[in-house]
Amino acid sequence: MTRSARVLLLGPYVLLLAVFFVAPLLLMLAISFSRQSYGQLEWAFTPQHYVHFFTDAYYLGVLGDTLWLGVLTTAVSLLLGYPLAYHLALTRSRAKPLLIVCILSPLLVGIVIRCYGWMILLADRGLINETLVQHGWLAKPLPLMYNKFGVTVALVHVFLPFMVLSLTGVLKRIEPQLIEASQTLGASPRRAFFEVTLPLSLPGILAGSLLVFSLAISSFVVPILVGGFKVHVLPMVVYEQVLSVFDWPFGAANAFVLLVISVALIAVYIKVTERALRGIV
Amino acid sequence: MILRSVVGLIYAFLLLPMVIVVLAAFNAGNYFTFPPQGFSLKWFANFFQRREFMQALRLSTELAVWTALASTVIGTAAALPLVRGRFRGRDLLNAFVTSPLLLPQILTGVALLQFYTLFKMQASYAALLIGHIVVTTPYVIRTVTATLTHFDIALEEAAQSLGAHPVRAFFEVTLGVIKPGVVAGAIFAFAISFDNFTLSLFLTSSKLTPLPIELFAYLKYSFDPTAAAVSAFAIGVALVLVLGIARFMGLEEFTGF
Repeated sequence: MTRSARVLLLGPYVLLLAVFFVAPLLLMLAISFSRQSYGQLEWAFTPQHYVHFFTDAYYLGVLGDTLWLGVLTTAVSLLLGYPLAYHLALTRSRAKPLLIVCILSPLLVGIVIRCYGWMILLADRGLINETLVQHGWLAKPLPLMYNKFGVTVALVHVFLPFMVLSLTGVLKRIEPQLIEASQTLGASPRRAFFEVTLPLSLPGILAGSLLVFSLAISSFVVPILVGGFKVHVLPMVVYEQVLSVFDWPFGAANAFVLLVISVALIAVYIKVTERALRGIV
Repeated sequence: MILRSVVGLIYAFLLLPMVIVVLAAFNAGNYFTFPPQGFSLKWFANFFQRREFMQALRLSTELAVWTALASTVIGTAAALPLVRGRFRGRDLLNAFVTSPLLLPQILTGVALLQFYTLFKMQASYAALLIGHIVVTTPYVIRTVTATLTHFDIALEEAAQSLGAHPVRAFFEVTLGVIKPGVVAGAIFAFAISFDNFTLSLFLTSSKLTPLPIELFAYLKYSFDPTAAAVSAFAIGVALVLVLGIARFMGLEEFTGF
């Protein structure tokens, strides 16, 4: 392929990204160091918004809650995703395409709809509470929504497919002979799993966890709808500052804190997936 | 045996909210209770009669079609040199072109909103469309790349040595072979655009609201099952699209396992 052909083929998308992706992000960085008075943006170079963020107990608390929800979501997704991926990687069932549809279709159903499903289930007058109260098993509804519990349940549901996809890819590449060999040498199935399969799937665990964590800490639809604005997370602060308070410099600074965390995670993710592919095949 | 029942429960967890939404859409009552209160299509009737939902549906469909077309052309073109080219910085470029996929969309959304506002482009159709193309093209690049790596370049070289122009060789030989990846990429781009909420939220106005945004606005003030009918409709669309991908590319190829 000649150089000019390359430029012609790649040019349009690279140009599109430069103008409508890179430039806007750089502009956002510039805005995060600017000032705003009476709704008017004034170009400046001041770290005041970052200082504000990192010295205000409220925002530090929000940052802490965001990261904690991310950890919780990642841990539960891993716990639920591993058996699913393990089964999917090994199954010879004819229903396998159907199982893949079950994992993929939630990804293609919009996030608002999935939250709405959880709202129908978890609300005070929702399906679970209403059923339990009607049958007299409960005196008053359980607080399932508008708190961290509900938000975590919905976050796990939204991001579980990403964990399963990351894990299945790695589990599938493990040579079955390795596991058979360990069993021939006398290992019990349980020991073979813990000493062969699990260590070999570590890259997938790491990749899936990084992906889910970075997605979970940047989600704001779930905290808004299922959390009912009662669970405060960093992306929600960004949303409020930019679209309701219209404090762009502070909103941009918040966004950049989130961006730095995400980019750091993505960098490790790319390293891990590269090594995972090289290490196991 | 234990594994199978655990796995079954997790699948149930994955599908539960969608099943509930669909059941609520066909349920006669205002609240969804168990057992259901009888079958009714009135929520669907309400959905199809409300002008704002119909306008939103039309906008979303139109937007998704244009997004899919544009990102398929741009993405397929970009995938070719990324798979075949031997040049310095290819890995870096590969990471760069897929970066909109890895960066949280809320960040892309905020950045684009500020950028568009500064250049007086905010809340325009073009602005929304460009945003969607930026985030869907990496998916097309991925699916096309997946099929392109299996492609035997000798086929195209044979066509060229028989006198075909490189462009003609591409359209008559290569495109025929990588079509599954291209079509699956187009379908996926359509789906991502049709369901996109996060990016759209920052780029819309009261006159320009795609369906997910309209649904979100509706849910903030009311809880009646019209929202369930809208959702059930969108779930149906998603299922059709997954089946489309299965038909053209095969799900095992698409997901890589």
